[in-house]
This record gives sequence, C-alpha cells and structure tokens, in this order.
Amino acid sequence: MFDLEIDEETKIELYRTMVRIRTFENRARVLIRDGEIPARSGFYTGQEAVAAGVCAHLSPSDQIGSTHRALGHLIAKGCDLKRLMAELCGKSSGLNKGKAGPYHIFDPSVGALGANGIVGGSVPMVAGYALAHQLRDDGGVAVSFFGEGASNQGGVQETLNLAACWNLPLVFVCENSSPEVQRMLGHEIDYPQLSIERVSDRAQAYGIPGATHDGWDVLEVYNAVNDAVIRAKEGGGPTLLEFKVHQIEGNLEGRIEARDDEKIWCPIHRFKERITDEGILTTELDEKIRDEEKSKVGEAVEFALRGTVPELIEAFKGVFAGGP
Amino acid sequence: MAERVITYSEALNEAHRLEMASNPDVVVFGENVSSGWRQVTKGLKEEFGRERVRDAPITETAFIGMGVGAAIMGLKPVVELMLVDFGLVAMDQILNQMAKSHYMSGGAVKVPMTLRAVYGAGTSSAATHSESLYSLFAHMPGIKVVIPSNPYDAKGLLIESIRGDDPVLFMEHRLLYPMEGVVPEEAYTVPFGMANLVREGYDVTVVATGLMVGKAVEAADELSPKCSVEVIDPRTIVPLDEETILRSLSKTGRLVIVDEDYERCGFSAEVAAIAAEKGFQHLDAPVVRVATPNVPIPYSPVLEKHLLPSKEKIVKAISQLVG
Repeated sequence: MFDLEIDEETKIELYRTMVRIRTFENRARVLIRDGEIPARSGFYTGQEAVAAGVCAHLSPSDQIGSTHRALGHLIAKGCDLKRLMAELCGKSSGLNKGKAGPYHIFDPSVGALGANGIVGGSVPMVAGYALAHQLRDDGGVAVSFFGEGASNQGGVQETLNLAACWNLPLVFVCENSSPEVQRMLGHEIDYPQLSIERVSDRAQAYGIPGATHDGWDVLEVYNAVNDAVIRAKEGGGPTLLEFKVHQIEGNLEGRIEARDDEKIWCPIHRFKERITDEGILTTELDEKIRDEEKSKVGEAVEFALRGTVPELIEAFKGVFAGGP
Repeated sequence: MAERVITYSEALNEAHRLEMASNPDVVVFGENVSSGWRQVTKGLKEEFGRERVRDAPITETAFIGMGVGAAIMGLKPVVELMLVDFGLVAMDQILNQMAKSHYMSGGAVKVPMTLRAVYGAGTSSAATHSESLYSLFAHMPGIKVVIPSNPYDAKGLLIESIRGDDPVLFMEHRLLYPMEGVVPEEAYTVPFGMANLVREGYDVTVVATGLMVGKAVEAADELSPKCSVEVIDPRTIVPLDEETILRSLSKTGRLVIVDEDYERCGFSAEVAAIAAEKGFQHLDAPVVRVATPNVPIPYSPVLEKHLLPSKEKIVKAISQLVG
C-alpha cells in the first residue's frame, strides 16, 4: 500500500460524511425515543470512518451490500436523507414506501443494494452485482460490508471462494467491532467466535489478498480501499479488508463528540484533531459543517414527520413485479 | 410439414438457446452446467461461451445469492439446482433474498431470476435426492412456482419464466426428461396462472401436477368409459388458476388431488382448502388426496413405490369416490 496524496477537499468531504452519519443517527435515536420511528435500529456510531472511507471511492454505478447496521453505509453511498428518514418512520414517502424499515432498505439510484436483516445475507448477492460488472466490462466494482460475526457464515465463506474463482470485481469489507475480545457485539457469549486473531487471515485460504487496518482512522481506510478498488477494476479480483472498529455511545442531545473515555476510538474526534493540526479545519469551518449537516438532517426529519402512512391496500401490492 | 417431436429435456435446451441468442442478458450458471452429460444445458457453453455459461463451485448459497444480485442488476440469470433437495442448504437466499427483495424494497428492485430445479422420486435415490418440495416454496410469498408436465409446456413456460420480471422456481421432474411431444421450433410462451384442461370428463375432477399428470391420464384411460374423468394440470401452482379448478368442480361435484409432494400442509391441502372455501356448494363427496405420506422417501424400491402416488392408487381413489 502506498500513501495517497489526499487533497484538502477530499479530507473535508470525508469529515463531513462522518459528521452527517453521526448527526443523522443521533436524530434517529430521538425519533425512536419519541415513538416516531416504530422500532429499534442497528446503529453505526463509531464506525463512520469505514463507510466514509470506502464509499468515497465509489460512484452511483458501483454497488454496495450492507448489514443491519446500514445507516452509515447508506448515507455515505448517497441515499437521500429525507426519504431515508421517512423510511425509518414507516412512511409512504420513504425510499421503499415504508416496507423496508432500517434492515431492508434498497436504493438502486445510488447503488445501495441494500441493507439486510440476515447476518451475512447480502454477501452472496454482492457477487451478483460484481458479476454484472464483469460481464458488461463496464469498469464497475461492488463492495460487500459485513461484520466479524457474519464472517463465520457459510454463505460469506462460499462467496469469498466463488469471487476468487471467478475473479470478480469485488471488495469484501469486514468491520470487526470486537477486535480485542473476539465476541459479537450485543451477544452474550462465553466462547470466542473466531478461531483466529484477524479475519483477514482467511483471505489466504481463498487465494486473495487480505489485510487488517484501523477502522477509526479514515485516511487509513481510504488508502486501503483505494488499492483494493483499483485492483478489482483492473481485473485483479477480490480483496478481503478487515477494519477494526469500536462502537461508541450515541446520544439524544445531538452531540457529535464522543465521551472522553471513547475518544481514542472515535474516528470523528481523531480526524478532527488531525486536520485541525494540518490547518485544514478551522473552528469556523467545523461549525459551518456541523450546522449545515444538522440543518440537512433537520429537514429530513421534517420531511419524514410530514409524510403520510401508507394506504392499507399497499400491504398487498408488490409481491410480484409482473403480477398477479 | 410433419409436426416436430422432441423430448422434454430437448425442449428445455431449446428454450435456453433461443433466449440466450435473443437476449445477451441471459446467463446460465450452476453445478456442471457446461458438461455434455447435462441434458438441459448441453451445448450452451459451446454456443454462447464460458462467460455466459458458468460452472459454479458446489456452494448453492453463494451461486443462488449471486443470481439474486445479478437479477437485481438487470441480468436474466437462469440458475440450475442439480436437485431441489440441495436448495435446502440455501434457504436464506431463496426464501429471504430472492423471494422478498422486490416487496421489501417497495418495488425499487426487481429479481427476474429463474431457478431451475430437478425434482422427483422413482429412481431409488432416497431421502435427500428424491423430493418434490414445491409446496415449501409455494408457501413463501414472492416466488412463482412452475411445474411443466410435458415438452410443449416445458419450453413455453421456461421462456415465460426467463422473460418475466419475477423470481421463478422452475421444477423439472427427472423422469419427464425423455418424454416426447410436439414442440414448435420457434420461441413461444405459455402464460402463468392458466391451467391446462388435459382431458375432459363429467364424473370427477382430478387435479395433478408434473409427473402425476400423466399418471392421472393413465388412470382416466383405465376407468373409461364407465367413469368419465376430467384431468386438470395447473402448470403453475403460484399463481394458481383457481377458476378452472372450481369451474370443473361445479360440473363434476367430485375432486381428487394427485400430488407427489408430501401431503401435510402441501399443494394438495391447498387445493382442498380452496374447494372447501369456494366450492363447497358443488361438492357431492369429500375431497380425496393422493399424495406422498409424511415420511422421508426410502431407498429400497419396494418401500419407495409403496409410498408414491401411482396410477393404481389414483384408480382406487376415483373408484371409491365415484362408487
């Protein structure tokens, strides 16, 4: 891996994307508390650098497959915030007419295909997105996000093998949210879930490159993914990237900042310090970015709350595309 | 010009060739699909190239899921399951992702994928290589389930599947592969949800699927002329042509369902429920089911034969019903 010269504009965009994700998720937490979002959602707080660093390399004609902690991926991939929030609220103005909810959102217009309620469920599908690019020879790439828990799923390992055998333009992105304890986030288990220290070590077994990086460092993510995307687009086949991440606590007050004891893992805090030191981010610019993102998310909330609930007949529509 | 006669498997092969030639988005993958030994996909690789006709590793979850993704991208994947029983290792991709993605997405994505599956008992292949299982998939909203019983329908229904916008489970009984029939050379479609009135009759309605259609006709032949049997082949069980079944029932007043799938909660139970809910006033006698009992298919030919629906069992069921 070589260090890219990353220009100031890109750095600011990476920072802005991370701030947008966190602002959006904190507002979603408030809407859940208030009952406007009718269910729990998996959150992505603390992992923002991975979504931002990965999706910065992708265009709308590249696809991602995601997980049940999809909001960060969907936002970084460019989903419309208003229709995304409306979907969380179950409104007919949502991206999927209120039928998807947080775990099943699809937005083909930006290549977000899609969130997935089954651990590891989206991974084989992403091979299909990559196959389409390969057959059309259009230079596109597909990215599969999954967690360290999903990395044990048969379908994920099958897809690693298949993608390697067929040399598909695919980047596997494993976000390991328990890199030290080897236990699954939110699961009370007394045994380790991985028999190895690094998920990326499995790449060797499939004959593809693999590496583990700090997922709390957005520039490290950006660099690693750059290499993998170039390799995929040039016909070099898939890569397995593992990013270590730590989920951190969100809040209902709309604070971007992590708690003091969490700051070491907080990608926004770390990157802010870095680009402030570099003189790229001034206090004024930081405030401007936060205000702008807060305002966009605020508009999304207004749009979502203003939306109507689906007509009851909608429940019966769309089982098939070609009727009946 | 004499009408052309080809086999069921040749008809399926021809459907692939016609659709692959006319639409570059049609791609085929599965286990051993490039092999000259596989009757349905034979010659496709040679004609259309190894990019579009691909042998996948023996990992049904990965290659069926890949079909779902490819379909979402606008390709028309025809994915082969060597046996429907092997689909059980890939149920998440079939029942969650393939079946539900269109609905869950509020119509934002479509999954125009054909999942071809060989099915059926009668070859002493035992419990994991003999099942029908179509009822299992018909139970899940979002999958069209197609069961051609003859070469003409096989070709027309497969072309309809490939051209459609929805995921289709396309069931091919292995014992039907050598069946011969008249099949036009050009491309044509057989619409879904339109039953085939295979044989007209007045005393009893027999609804049968797949290989069982032929057995029902044999039974009707044996009982003729003292008993007049109407045989209906739904051709697709999702969507199901209830109207044709109920119309026939209103004429005959008696219903026998012949189904190679397991009896419990299966297709035969579904048709019986439709008769009870919507055709009760027509029924002159209880509905009779001739289906596979709720036990795994055993290996020994005597045991297997003992369980499966047969011409003899259908004759007996009709005779008892009509009296």
